Amino acid sequence: MKRHATWLYLLFWIVVSFLTMFPIYWLFVISVKPAVELFSTPEVLLSSVYWQNYIDVMNDSTLRGYMVNSLIISTGNAALVTVLGFLACYALTRFELGGKESIFFWTITNRMAPPAVFLLPLFLLFTQVYKFGDFTLLDSKIGMILVYCTFNLPFAIWTLRPTVDGIPKELDEAAFVDGASAWTVITEIILPLARPGLAVTLILTWVFAWNEYLLAATLTNFNARTLTTGLSEYVTTTGTEWGVMATISVFTLIPALIIFSMVQRHIVAGLTFGAVKG
Amino acid sequence: MKLNLKLSASVVALSMIAGAAFAQEIDVKNPEWWQEAGKQFEGVTLHGVTESTPASNYISDVLAPKFEDLTGISVQIETTSWDQMYDKAIKDMEAKTGIYDMVYIEQDIVYAYLARNFLVDVTKALKENEGLNAPEYSEDNFTTFADNFRGKDGDLYGLPMEAFIKVYLYRKDLFDDPDIKAAFKEKTGKELKPATTHEDYAEIAQFFTDYGKEKGMDLWGTTAQAHTGHPASWYEYYESVAPTFGVYNWGIDADNNYAATVEHGGTMNSPEAKKALKWWLSMRDIAPPESVQSTWTEVATTFAAGRAAQGLVYGENAAWIATDESKSRVVGKVGVALPPLEKGVMEDAESGKGYIGYYDGGAFGLPVTSKNQEASLLFLQFMALPEVQEDWAAAGSRITLTSTYDTPKVKEIDEELGGYYTMLRDDGKLFKGAPEYPFHRQVIEATTPTFYQILTGGISVDDGLDQMAEKTEEELKSLGYRK
Amino acid sequence: MQSNRLGWILLAPTLVILFFFGVVPFFYVLWLSFHQWNPFAADPNVIFNGADNFRALVFDNGFLSSLGVTIAFVFFAVLSELVIGYALAQAFLKDFPGKAIFRTIHTLPLIMAPIIVGSIWKLMTTPSIGIIPSLLRSWFGYDLNIGTSAVAAFTVTVVMDIWHWTPLVTLTLIAALVSLPSDPFEQAQIDGANKRQIFWHITLPMIMPAVLATVFIRLMDALRTVDEVLMLTGGGPGSATRYLGVHIFKEVFPRTNYGYGSAISIIVLYLTIVACWLLYVSLIAPRNTKG
Repeated sequence: MKRHATWLYLLFWIVVSFLTMFPIYWLFVISVKPAVELFSTPEVLLSSVYWQNYIDVMNDSTLRGYMVNSLIISTGNAALVTVLGFLACYALTRFELGGKESIFFWTITNRMAPPAVFLLPLFLLFTQVYKFGDFTLLDSKIGMILVYCTFNLPFAIWTLRPTVDGIPKELDEAAFVDGASAWTVITEIILPLARPGLAVTLILTWVFAWNEYLLAATLTNFNARTLTTGLSEYVTTTGTEWGVMATISVFTLIPALIIFSMVQRHIVAGLTFGAVKG
Repeated sequence: MKLNLKLSASVVALSMIAGAAFAQEIDVKNPEWWQEAGKQFEGVTLHGVTESTPASNYISDVLAPKFEDLTGISVQIETTSWDQMYDKAIKDMEAKTGIYDMVYIEQDIVYAYLARNFLVDVTKALKENEGLNAPEYSEDNFTTFADNFRGKDGDLYGLPMEAFIKVYLYRKDLFDDPDIKAAFKEKTGKELKPATTHEDYAEIAQFFTDYGKEKGMDLWGTTAQAHTGHPASWYEYYESVAPTFGVYNWGIDADNNYAATVEHGGTMNSPEAKKALKWWLSMRDIAPPESVQSTWTEVATTFAAGRAAQGLVYGENAAWIATDESKSRVVGKVGVALPPLEKGVMEDAESGKGYIGYYDGGAFGLPVTSKNQEASLLFLQFMALPEVQEDWAAAGSRITLTSTYDTPKVKEIDEELGGYYTMLRDDGKLFKGAPEYPFHRQVIEATTPTFYQILTGGISVDDGLDQMAEKTEEELKSLGYRK
Repeated sequence: MQSNRLGWILLAPTLVILFFFGVVPFFYVLWLSFHQWNPFAADPNVIFNGADNFRALVFDNGFLSSLGVTIAFVFFAVLSELVIGYALAQAFLKDFPGKAIFRTIHTLPLIMAPIIVGSIWKLMTTPSIGIIPSLLRSWFGYDLNIGTSAVAAFTVTVVMDIWHWTPLVTLTLIAALVSLPSDPFEQAQIDGANKRQIFWHITLPMIMPAVLATVFIRLMDALRTVDEVLMLTGGGPGSATRYLGVHIFKEVFPRTNYGYGSAISIIVLYLTIVACWLLYVSLIAPRNTKG
């Protein structure tokens, strides 16, 4: 690549990154200012830093519990939907299943529903129908993992299908001729080639689960409450605690960043597979 | 306030490590009785839901652990946002799930809950269970605010937990400044003092907004809770402004088939209502620019940041504005007064026909669907004991028992607050909670779209209020209240 | 080719989960949409009222205006996200120093919960105390006021949505682009096709399924937007940003108008399905059945 082109790229990305980062920088500014200072003529740069919010948040064991719940639920859900979505896509692209196009389209309709009205039936199902002895799905992590499938599973299927479809079918046919089992074909041939798609799906479904609020707010009470519901506690009639809210958000960036960087490598890995396009 | 609470919570944690639990500062008079009463409920866990306010957080951080110490009954309080709190409590009670043993009931929703028989009659339940009557608890301890939670039979269906009045706050330092006083006199020919009429209030507001502009200061003459997409603006107008112009109970006449339009005997679009809204909008126009995006939170912060010389502020915020240096720039500079009124309104309030402002607060009630009603009755009484009130009042600026006014900490804060508690005690009767309708949020949601349109100038005040009155009647008809 | 039984087995878990958590609640909502039910009405029971809810919808100005602004919002937001997201995805295919860092930065907005995004943008845009109005005033003399100007509020919600969700488009398109086989491109280059021809005739048709999947996802998510907008403008000023998600939320939560709210949701769901189905049938389905 030519030298000046590299510089242009860098400049371009610096500008884009600046625009992307500014609201996040502002989140940080909010987290290190007492609320009263937010209500004055704003300045771009910080003149003083107020760490009290961070001390408070770090000492709050309830929030740590929420963080753990959020991690378990979103990781569990993202893993589940990525695996199930991947298998479903293999089925949809490799088999002549009756009505498979309709099924494929139908899956996505589960994501279209405006969530507000679905809370009531889900609440009723969770408390009165889906129960096993004393155990109800309400306020349980497994319940949240399952209910998040309604919007994440369609997403996984729709984002993975083009990827799985793009993997030449000759590859698995050749393997079957050599006597490989379906399991071997899926795990050893399709899976490695679908890695970029799987990585993106994993990241995005994780993000959707991590950020979900309305379902978690209605379907959890004490044991499975997530960070987003914890955040809403700071929006009260007596005052929205902008500072604490921003501080918690800054903290939530950390686990998310770790997961992102772990998974993102696999998107890069995919790049060696295809050459330069367009 | 939350911040303070978090601080005090970490103080609790620290002192517990030091072996001197903060909770032990609360001296319950008959610990043996509580121990005895708790025995039969061993292993029970009570679940409650409440909004995350300082007063509520005090329950989960201090009162619940203390109660568990005494009785062995553990208490889990779920704190959540305002919308969610209602929704979760309603879903639980409607579906008869029995998740909650205690629900927070804001004064304005109690009538809806009563209409649906969601709540246990606490008075009656205590009468029927003599063994559960805590020695120090008595209904007579409550202030008159408790009357909001009585059913038609006069029994209590919720035990008050917090109570506030929306007061007229002003900046003592500015009002007492000799230069400003002189400038005001020169401009208006009047003495600068907290307004008692709307004309005076408007004059002062205009003066300070001009003054701020002249001096290049971030100062305006009044606050306005005038959000153009959040019902906070609706509340300010109907609960705090319209009554001071003699328009009570949202302009709906419950005794007259819930009429709202003047045509049918209501006052929602009466000349007084229109005058009130025009006056309030003229105040909004000279308030700080953020007012068009302000709910109660932002109004309080605007005042705390020293951007307004006067304004109507909810009492729960008055406390931290006046005392909390980490959040307020006007500590020690705040005065409290009664809201400015039209002629005749004070007489109406004194005779009980009307009221001069909003008395707001909440109680804890016991859902009929609860599976631990008896244990819950114990905790409800525990929260209403005189001896647990003082620190709670200090932490949450709330008072629900008459005896609390005379405790040392409350007296001390009262002074810093410019006499807010004294006003709550002496003039509280002039204020009133939301009207006794079971359809609050329904009417609000039916009319807010038009109300926001008035605020943005999309429709005139006169036409807008006419439409709102009609919409109200329409909504009440479809809900089946208006025949 | 393996037997179809294996295909059904692989698909089964997906179908079972979606049935229990998607279809069953849907039927409840459908049932409710033919009833009048407000637990705080004089009669709190669920009363069958036939198609009354749907009939009322046709004349409900609140609903119709909400539908109008929602379509505008979705159109501007999703189109911008697609264009910007594609450009960025292409740019990420090149190698340049610090690419991993830039890509991580670019995906950061995704990790923000909607309720937080709404809060930050509210604090950044509040008249007089927000940084954006303040900068706009000092640089261009423009007074941005999302509390009074419908256009300003609408624009800010669109910009916020673009900021928040473009990274999603970028990521899914990167995944699609890197999985493309290289032969057609090499062939085209040998044949002397220029960049624009390659884009229109090779790249675009090949990534069309992925583009459409992304558009669908963004479309339906934008239609469901609630938290960000509630936090930022509350649906105001007036009803300028009262998008369908917000409208339904207000109808169902504070107003507890469950029957009517269900009817609105069913209609919205129906319109979304029809719109997506038409797009799908005309653009993707033929390709899938071919392959």
